[in-house]
Amino acid sequence: MTLTREDIAKYPFLTDAAEEVRRVNLEIQNLDNPEVESIVKRAAERIREALENNPPRVSYREREEDIEIPSFPVAIIMAAASGNNYIKRRYALGEAIRAYNLLIEEERDKILEVAETFNWRIRRVKDTIGDRRFDFAISFIDYLRNTRPFHEDRFKLVNKPLLKGEVYLTKREVARLLREEVRRRIEDKLNMEIRLELPEKLLNHIEEIKKKYAGDSEKRIFETPKGTFHEAFPPCISQLFSAAKSGQHISHLGRFTLTSFLLNIGMKIPDIVDIFRSSSDFNERLTRYQVEHIAGSRGSGTKYIPPSCETLKTHGLCPGSETCGNVKHPLASYRRRIRIFKKESQDNISGHE
Amino acid sequence: MNNISFIHDKFAEFYKENASMIKPPSNISKREFGFFTFKENVVIRHKSFLNVEDLRNYVKQLVPSHAYYSAAYYEMPEESMEKKGWLGADLYFDIDADHIPTKCRKIHDTWTCKKCGFQGRGVAPNECPICGGKGFEERKWPCEICLESAKYEAMKLLDFLIDDFGFSPHEIQVSFSGHRGYHIHVENEKIRELDSSARKEIVDYITGTGLDPAYHGLQGTPHGRRVTSGPDMDEPGWRGRIARGTHEFLLSATKEDLEELGLRKKIINEIISRREEILKSWEKEGPWSLIRGAGVEAWKRIIRKAIESQSARIDTVVTTDIHRLIRLPNTLHGKTGWLKIPLSANEIEEFDPLSSAIAFKKGEVTIYVKEAPEFRIGEETFGPYRDIKVELPMAAAIFLLCKDAAEVAD
Ligand SMILES: [Zn+2]
Ligand SMILES: [Zn+2]
Repeated sequence: MTLTREDIAKYPFLTDAAEEVRRVNLEIQNLDNPEVESIVKRAAERIREALENNPPRVSYREREEDIEIPSFPVAIIMAAASGNNYIKRRYALGEAIRAYNLLIEEERDKILEVAETFNWRIRRVKDTIGDRRFDFAISFIDYLRNTRPFHEDRFKLVNKPLLKGEVYLTKREVARLLREEVRRRIEDKLNMEIRLELPEKLLNHIEEIKKKYAGDSEKRIFETPKGTFHEAFPPCISQLFSAAKSGQHISHLGRFTLTSFLLNIGMKIPDIVDIFRSSSDFNERLTRYQVEHIAGSRGSGTKYIPPSCETLKTHGLCPGSETCGNVKHPLASYRRRIRIFKKESQDNISGHE
Repeated sequence: MNNISFIHDKFAEFYKENASMIKPPSNISKREFGFFTFKENVVIRHKSFLNVEDLRNYVKQLVPSHAYYSAAYYEMPEESMEKKGWLGADLYFDIDADHIPTKCRKIHDTWTCKKCGFQGRGVAPNECPICGGKGFEERKWPCEICLESAKYEAMKLLDFLIDDFGFSPHEIQVSFSGHRGYHIHVENEKIRELDSSARKEIVDYITGTGLDPAYHGLQGTPHGRRVTSGPDMDEPGWRGRIARGTHEFLLSATKEDLEELGLRKKIINEIISRREEILKSWEKEGPWSLIRGAGVEAWKRIIRKAIESQSARIDTVVTTDIHRLIRLPNTLHGKTGWLKIPLSANEIEEFDPLSSAIAFKKGEVTIYVKEAPEFRIGEETFGPYRDIKVELPMAAAIFLLCKDAAEVAD
């Protein structure tokens, strides 16, 4: 792909980043140079934009290639040096959304070129399937890799036209997949160990950003309340729970789901072992071993979390319920139910507010 | 002589002559192998072999009741799970009559309450009707109908893999599992590194899980009161499957079938009284806007039936498990004494497992049969038997012994 200066300013991640970072690094050592100063300023701004806008979004400055281009690798260095995962993730997403907004304005051939730089197996088509027109056909493997974090029904493979190994997509959908590829690539870059001597001034910028935004991430985490609220179990869990209590046969995945769920809401190991006691082939030692394994106190030391709602659906463990609303995970469903439950019980206390 | 040592000796004789048939997986040194033994009934895992000769000799010496290899490739297959170093895995599908609700299971599958010994047929209940016990000994039978329905599911799966996923038939290895089903193994460089969540999407595609017909051509008026158009039978992928499955269902749906879907009376009457018209409509734009009173929701219920019949019933856990162990081709299955037989994708239709998978072709033995339904081995049909001493050809005898339905007579 032959890239114009404008292309590089729009899609700076397409050039050899390592090379770019090395070159820029030489320049940022020389911060007294006023031209370099404005590059650093723009770099810090890129990160700020990602943190301030919701959804995160970095702007594009038309006809300012001399600053737009080098400020990207500098921003990468700064975001990586922050060592803060929240900042890194937001920044990667901000740049990816910037790219997406620019891509949807492009000609189809330009989109194809960008996708090919990422080694996607993709081609232009002008096919109609049913009464819908498609612009691209992409290998289902590239498709799955770049829709992994998507949860919309329309992006599930089963809801897409799939012919001879290719998924048929519109231009806008391809841009959405490219956004994910860009996000992942930038995030990978940000997680690479960088050992650079950064000038004082740059470090100050980074500290400032951290002070201002790093706290944001913590607000978002919702602590699971202590204690076990059976009333708040999502339907999949209460089904497994009562099956276990009454000694019915539960599949391997079902046992795993129930055990990891209960561990994650803070139930103690001996209490969980007790639940399985009425099973006719109950073996205390083996059950304890399995529970401890899932708790991470044995073997690999990994503490497991229960499978997502989607996975439970795949394996027929989701009884399907309107009451779950839009949640994606049984633990999230549990937390939501507790909130509602608590609110309701407060409402029930007469004279309360 | 007890059953287990008799079977063990026969397996030993078989491997002595036929271990050279054992078909190794590609990249043998990167695979993990696992075995069950007869004597102590233990599992041996985390084995690896540098070449096929070592593997065959090992099987010859160990005489396992079951032999497996990993779908996955590892840097160090002999290490514990955490240290193996996963390099990728082939794509595997398991179709087993267990996942197909055939009617004959009520006739040939039995369960016995572990507590009181009460016996019943079909799938074991949640609790024993006599003593309330919850543990059961289940015996599943590989009958012809069950094997045929497993084959049908395997053929639907092959359509998905070839037409939709674009695999070429020579990348696909079909096998008879040696018991009640088929294995389908796809080996292709590009799919090796797919993670479990990508494999889950493949499973959902094949089982029709999460499918919304609105993405496959079912269109209605803004509030969904009326359907304006739907997919065609000759269209590719799920569009065509939805149309063909709907056609098939409406062709023969009884009043009860339709009531079961929770459709309104008026719609049911429409479907039944205008069946001819509906069938004819497929020549043009289909019946989607034909049935008065049937909106998007009603059609989605009907389409659910289409998805059920067009999807392939695979074991969802096997395909998403990237560390799975798979039975080794041309080895004996300890529950039947039959072989896991590899075949190519275009051979499956004509394939007869009850002739091709037979390992023991010589000799007779007298056994005492407790209970067995009628079964066929090769061209010959045996049984049904109950509390009887019979002399049987070796394959039939070993089958009943492996099923624990008989004992060697002295
Ligand atoms: Zn009983
Ligand atoms: Zn059957």
